[in-house]
Order: sequence, then C-alpha cells, then structure tokens
Amino acid sequence: MRRITEVFGGRRNLLFSGLLLALLFILLLDLFFVHHIFSPFVYFYLCFALVIVFYGIYPLYVSRRLTRYYWDRTKRHHLAVIGLVFIIFLVAVAIFGPFLTQDPTKVDFPNKNLPPVGFSAEQSTYDRTTGQFITRETPGTWLHPLGTDDKGRDMLAMLVSGTRISLQVGLMATLIAIFIGLILGVVSAYLGGWADNALMRFTDIMMTFPFFLLLVFIVFIFGPSLWFIILAIGLTGWTGTARLVRSESLSLRTRDFIMASKSLGASDRRIVFHHLIPNVLSSVIVIATLSIPGVILAEAALSFIGLGDPTVTSWGLVLQAGQRSLETAWWIAVEPGIMLFLTVLAFNFLGDGVRDAFDPRSQV
Amino acid sequence: MATNNTILQVSELKTYFFTRLGVVRAVDGVSFGLRQGECLCLVGESGCGKTATALSILRLVDSPPGQIVGGEIKYHNENLLRSTGARLRQIRGNRIAMIFQDPQSSLNPVLTVGEQIMEPIRLHLKLGHRQARDKALSLMKQVGIPQSAERMAYFPHQLSGGMKQRVMIAAALSCNPEILIADEPTTALDTTIKAQILDIFRELKQQMNMSILFITHDLGTVAGIADRIIVMYGGRIAEAGSTLDIFDQPKHPYTWGLLNCLPTIAERREKLSPIPGMIPSLIDPPEGCIFHPRCQWRMSVCQQAKPPEYVILGEHIAACYLYQKAPASAGL
Amino acid sequence: MKRGGLQNYIIRRLFYAFLIAFGVVTVTFILLRVGPSSPADKYLANISSRTQDPAKVIEAVEARYGLDRPLYQQYFNYLVSLARGDWGWSFSTSLPVIELIKRHWIYSFQLILLSMLFASSLGILIGIYSAVKQYTKTDYAATFFSFIGISIPNFWLGIMLILVFSVQLGWFKTYYDTGLPLFSLANLKALILPVITLGTGMMAGYTRYSRSATLDNLRKDFVKTARAKGLPEYIVIGKHVFRNAILPIITIIMFDLAGVVFGGAYLTEIIFGIPGLGRISFNAIFANDYPVVITITLIGAMVVLLTNLATDIVYTWLDPRIRYD
Repeated sequence: MRRITEVFGGRRNLLFSGLLLALLFILLLDLFFVHHIFSPFVYFYLCFALVIVFYGIYPLYVSRRLTRYYWDRTKRHHLAVIGLVFIIFLVAVAIFGPFLTQDPTKVDFPNKNLPPVGFSAEQSTYDRTTGQFITRETPGTWLHPLGTDDKGRDMLAMLVSGTRISLQVGLMATLIAIFIGLILGVVSAYLGGWADNALMRFTDIMMTFPFFLLLVFIVFIFGPSLWFIILAIGLTGWTGTARLVRSESLSLRTRDFIMASKSLGASDRRIVFHHLIPNVLSSVIVIATLSIPGVILAEAALSFIGLGDPTVTSWGLVLQAGQRSLETAWWIAVEPGIMLFLTVLAFNFLGDGVRDAFDPRSQV
Repeated sequence: MATNNTILQVSELKTYFFTRLGVVRAVDGVSFGLRQGECLCLVGESGCGKTATALSILRLVDSPPGQIVGGEIKYHNENLLRSTGARLRQIRGNRIAMIFQDPQSSLNPVLTVGEQIMEPIRLHLKLGHRQARDKALSLMKQVGIPQSAERMAYFPHQLSGGMKQRVMIAAALSCNPEILIADEPTTALDTTIKAQILDIFRELKQQMNMSILFITHDLGTVAGIADRIIVMYGGRIAEAGSTLDIFDQPKHPYTWGLLNCLPTIAERREKLSPIPGMIPSLIDPPEGCIFHPRCQWRMSVCQQAKPPEYVILGEHIAACYLYQKAPASAGL
Repeated sequence: MKRGGLQNYIIRRLFYAFLIAFGVVTVTFILLRVGPSSPADKYLANISSRTQDPAKVIEAVEARYGLDRPLYQQYFNYLVSLARGDWGWSFSTSLPVIELIKRHWIYSFQLILLSMLFASSLGILIGIYSAVKQYTKTDYAATFFSFIGISIPNFWLGIMLILVFSVQLGWFKTYYDTGLPLFSLANLKALILPVITLGTGMMAGYTRYSRSATLDNLRKDFVKTARAKGLPEYIVIGKHVFRNAILPIITIIMFDLAGVVFGGAYLTEIIFGIPGLGRISFNAIFANDYPVVITITLIGAMVVLLTNLATDIVYTWLDPRIRYD
C-alpha cells in the first residue's frame, strides 16, 4: 500500500486519481450500458470539482496561516474586494437564476421588442383592418423587467442564462489552459536540454498564431459546440502560462532549497511536485485570475459573430441580435454589453489585487 | 563656530520621512559649517542620518516620504531651503556637485559615458558640442581614465567599478564646483581601487582648493583624508572636531566604541569589541540622549533630555552629559 | 557584441524565424487534416452543387489539391503551392485567393496602423505623465480609465459608438463606405469610429505598460544623479527616464500584436463593415470557402512572425547593454 502511495506522490494524489478513475468508470457505464442518466455536462463538472477541491481548496485549508496572509493582503485593495463581491453575486445568479426566471428560449412574438421597465419605445404594428402601420408608444412592463428581444424572449432570462455560460466557460477554459501551461512549463524547465528546446519552439509556434484567428480557425474546422469552444480556448490560451512557469521554474531550480532537497536524496518527481509546483503556484494563480476575462470575452466574441454554440443563450448571442435592432430596440444591445463589461471589470479588479498581494516586493 | 571661511552653514536641519509605520526622524537637529578648501567627513553607522543630511543640502530627498521640516542651509548667505527651483538647478552640478555610492546604478545605462560627462558642461557652461567634448576629454584625463578619446563612446556597463566612479567624479568636477558632496564614494569598490579614488580626492582638495563633504562609515578612509570629522548617531551629532582631536582625544562614548572596534595591526587583542546593543529606532527613539541605552557611562540625567553640544577645546565638541561642566557650544 | 556580432545575430534570428514559419504552416496543415468533417468536403459539396457536372468538377478539384493522394504528398504539395504564391481559389468570390488578398489587405492595414498610432501616442504619453504624477488625482483617474478601457469588450464599444453617434446623432454612417478614395479626408472621417473602437482597448493597455515601465525607472539612482547635475525636470524625464523606459514599452506593444490587435481588428471590421482581411475571412467561413480562411490565418501568423523578428532585431540594436557586450 505504501509503495502505491509513493508512486503517486502522496495520499492526496492517490485519493484524487482513485476518484477520477471511479468517475471515468461510471461515465463509461453510463455511455454504453445505462444510456445517459447524466448528461456529459455533469461529468465535466464533477471532474473540475474534483480538481478544485483536491488541489485548490484542500491546500488552502491545510496552510491556513498562509491563506490568511494572502487574503489580508488582497483585502487591502478595495477595488479587488468589490470585484470579488460582484463575482460572488454572479455565481449566485448563475446557480439560482435559472430557477427564478422564465425560459430564455421561449419565443413570444406578440410581445416582441418590449423595452425595459421605466422606458418606452415606439412600436409599429401592421393593422390588417386598415392596411396601414400604426405607431404606438409601448411602455415596459414588470412581466419583462428588462424587456424582450426581437423575438419576444425575456431579456432577464437570457442574461441569466448568459451568466451561467460565461462563468462556466471562463472557469473551465482557464483551468484547461493553466493546466496545460503548468505541466508544459514545469516539465520543460525540469528536463532541460533538448526537450526543453523542442517544447519552447513549439510554444513559440503556437504563440505566433494570433489568438482570435486561431480560435476562429479551430471552431471553423471542428464545429461550434460549447464543449469544443471551451476546449479550443483552453488549447489556444496556454502559451503565456507555459512561458512564465518555465522561466520561474528555471530560476527556482538553481535555488538553494532545491539543491538541498536533491542532496537529501529526493527523487525528481518529488522535487517537481512537492517543491517546484507549489512555488510557481502563486504566479499561476495570478495568471489564472487575469486570464478569465480574456476567455469570457473570447467566447462572447465567438457567439457574437455567429460561431458560438447556437443552442445556448450566451451574452454574445444576445448582442448579435442587438446589433440588428439598434435602431428599434437599443436595449437588446446595451444590456448584455453592460453585463460583459461589469464581469470583465470585476475580474480585472480582482486579478490586479491578487497580483499585488502575491508579489513579495510590493508593500500592500 | 562659523568663521569667515565658511561657505556652507547648516543650522538645525531636520529631515523626516513620513511612512506608513510612523515618522522616521532621519536628521533631527544637525548643525555644522563647511569651510573653503577643507575636507569634512560625516561618519557614522548605516541609518545614522548622514546620507539624508547630504541629500538635504541639494534638496534631493525623495519627496513623497521624505521632507525637510526645519532648519536652514546657507550657501554664501543664501538659504537653499528657500531657493526657487530654478536657482537650485543653477547651483546643482555647478557650484555644489554630488556623487553617489554605487556608480553602476548611478549612471544612465543607455547613454554613453562621454555624453553623461558633457551634460553639465553644456548646461551650465553653455559650451558648444566640440568644446564640451574637449573639456570632457581633459576631465577624463584629469581623473585618470586612460584612452579617454575611445572611452568616451563607451557605455557604463563596459567599464569597471573604479572607472565608473571616475566618470562620476569627472562629471561632478566639470563646472569647477566650490563644494563636492561625496556620499560613500568608495564603499562599493575594491580596496586597491579605494585607495586610488581617495588619491583623486586628495589632489582635488590640494590643487583646486575644493571643499569636500565626504560621507562614509569607514574610519580608515576618514583618517586618510579628513581635515575635520563629524560623528553622527541617531540623526544627531555626537562629536565633532579636527581629525587629530577625534582620533587622539575622543570624548564621546560612541566615538570610543567606534574606535575600539577598529582592528589594528599594532595591538594584539583577544576579540573584536563591538558596541553592545542595537541602533535605535528612528521612529520611536528613546527619551533623552539617543545613545544612552547602549552607553556604559550613562547617568540619570541622560534619560531625561537630549544633551547639548559642549565645547571641549576650540572646535572640538561633544554632545554628552559627561562634559556638562563645560560651556555649551555656540554652534560650529 | 560589436558590428560583426550584430550581423551574426540577425542571421541566426532569420533562420529561427524561418523555422517557426515552417512550424506554423505544419500545424495548420495538421489541424486541417485532423478536423472531423474536413472543410474540404464541405467545399466540395458547395462546388458540386453549383455546377452542371459535379463529378467532373470534383475530380478536377481533387486532382488539384491532391486530396486523393497520400498524406505526406499532400503536405509537400501544400508547402510548394504556398511558396509559389498559389494560394488557392475562392469560389465564393470567383477569384484566386491571392487576388482577393491583394484587393483587401489595404483596408485592414489602414485600420490597424491608424489605431496603433492613436493608441500608442496617447497611451504612452498618458502613462508617463501618470507615473510622474504618481498618487495624484490625475494618476488615479488615468489608472481608473485604463481599467475601464481594457475591460470594455471592444465589439460592444463599437456597437455603442454606432448607436450613439450614427443612429442617435447621425454624425457618421453606420456602415463603412468602400467607395471613398483612400487618402481622402472623408475616408479618415469614416474611420474615426472604428479607430476609436479598436484603439481604446489598446490604449488602455499601453497606458498601463508605460506607467509601470516609467515608475520602475523613476526609482533608479541615475535619476538622482541627473537631478544632482541641475538638469531641468523635463530633461530628466524626457531624456533619461524616457530612453530607458521606451525599450520595454515598445517591445511589449509589438509583441502584443498577436493577441489584442488582430483579434480586435477582426471584430471591428465585421461590426463596421470594413472589407479588410478579417471580414473577408469571416464571410469565407460561412461560405465554407476554406482556402481563404486558411490563407488569412496563415497571413496573420506570418505578420506576427515578421513583426516579432523586426522587434527583436531593433531591440538588440538599440539597447547598448546587449549590443556592446
């Protein structure tokens, strides 16, 4: 038993791998034998949840003092705290919102183009009896507090759905990108020599592609489904992390505490997992937080130009409808944009605060 | 005691640094005069306020945290602390020049050495490019930089530490200033280079009759070059006098400690004897004499009020209650 | 490094750039062949549906693209045709792709150039000013606005600008007029909104970079030396600090091209209807005109590659610490 634990690099890793395998097993059963009790979404969620619990929450819990220290430093940045509060609000909306709002896909033509509450807009409707267009002032109603779009769908419901999508994409795509970047960076730095060279050339090649063009290209080839989009963003966004992790690992590698470890007989794997990774983790957290806004914007941009998943209502999709109706229903374009803006702003504030908090040189 | 020869008179200078942790009283009431053609050394441990004093003269203290809160600095009867910015810039590099401790970081890495020497020449002496260049060449020769024509186009990182410091000195001398303030110019250099640089200073003093305010923590350097010495501690003056006075007849307990710490070849001792205790916090200094917690000879009066400067003999003064029977000094 | 060293460096760097170019092309090829429904199939489907004699056309296309031959041969043909300038045929516009590019690249170029000029000149100036006046209201305001600038989704900004200035106020047309001569004032006017859209996000980023680069240098000792010489403040900042800060600033701006600029330009062209390469590529996607899409993606990568190369060389040449080593 102890041998197995050693191979995995610790009990935590062992437990994690075990649970992961169990999950995989259930997934396979589901696919081939029991026919989809849970949709693939659920498996993905559970996967990510496992990763976060084991490698995010647990370490934070164990080193409480350190967590407290970083939290205190982050707290000093008032803007970062405001950002965090807003993000928590968004998470609440994403989780509970869909239960409280109407169906975002329900089309309701008679009620189309309703303005938000408190505003009123001119509507032209064709009157069959007189054969003419009648223009009327239509006020907003509380039934659709944020108005409706050009097909009568409730704006509030669509925005809530969009929140869920954006947060999912933001979190998962970032995790994928960070994961790839971290592994590549650490391995590259640790192996050195030929392998390091090759990996870094590969990173250079990927970095030469303009991010958005590459994304569009991949979606063009593989098709616009939400999961592919998440994967695509993750597969194109790891380069910055890889570079940074590698350079930090390189500088750490020659530091005394690593040499001390080696002289005590620690194996390569132990050094990598136990010493290197935790030390670059602080930079990785900063990069992660700062990448989320870019990811959210990328997904929104894709949906906006029509390359997003048409079966999910994301903010970008609503914005697309909004551009068509700029002259008649301005709110369709304004509302999702405000949500995007505020979300990105919140993550930027938080990211900035986290970065200052983790930078040992800055005096918060 | 201000004489007719005094060209720079500092009176009750107070420079504080306002930080998040409190107010650091880096310079807390320092007075002295600098005479024409003399080399005055400010000596003390790190953190005693000597650098802050020097920076205050040209008002180069970093202004968000630091600020000169009191006192006067009179240069030929002009109070520098009240001068306009334009007047100050006229004086800087021109009448009073300053060189700093670490020549590597004090020189601009993207400009050539020649350009950095020529800058004050063109600014203050208003010479054209050709003339400024010639003057710079002669300055470089004067401070002992070989192959000056070639080296003018070098960038700082291409030169050694000693050469870089010579470049700084050349730039400082370019407009023939009356006063040269040197903030630990030899601290970052090797011992042999130290000696060479000190030679340059000695020459400057003799040949150009320049007044030098030399700041250091190394008593050995002081002995080789100073005419007068001021020992600072905790932002105030502990003792002051001519070089002979201080080395031969030191009066302040802190000076005794400093001199005792010096290893000498002549004597044979068991161990080095450092001064017991630690440097006081300048944010929350002890009451009374700032040295008293570390002083073997402290008396009850030492804990109550800061001692004034007592005259020992002539210009030799000490701020210690051991000499309270002596007359108080009227100022240096 | 001296003169000879610089030449060696350039040669090595060129060789390296060539390697990367090769890698880029290879990755593109792999992505294409790995895709599920190969765009080639969709392309063929489209073509055959438009002609009388589908079988013959399919045969011709297959022969041309070598779709029936083994993979490594396809790869080789691909490389050769790229090098020869034969970049395929766009059936949706009935033009050779290279001709399409020739006609439309200028629109993208003018948009990006103007936006970068706008963003860098304002951004760097504001950043430096903000750093010099650190902790004052101006600094906080500038920092706050740069946060907002980088957070606004640029496609939304474009739409909002159109909403306010074209729809409500009627100052500009809602769509870019391609009939305008390029070097005319009217063209410049039509480009105002797009340049603001693309440039605002860039400017906000540049402001942050130049602020932090300037701050880093303001703390350095040589600034104190410069002041001690009696130099006026505008020379201390404008000559000493600036020349040290500008190198990293320019480098960051240039290397940022791949991320921010091209993606933003793509979206801006679509929103404003500017017929640049981004918009052409976008139209091609929906027409399944895949030679166009591939080519434009490759062009994007090549431009980034060349810019990185140029920036690297210029930086090495300008920074005396590297050049004279």
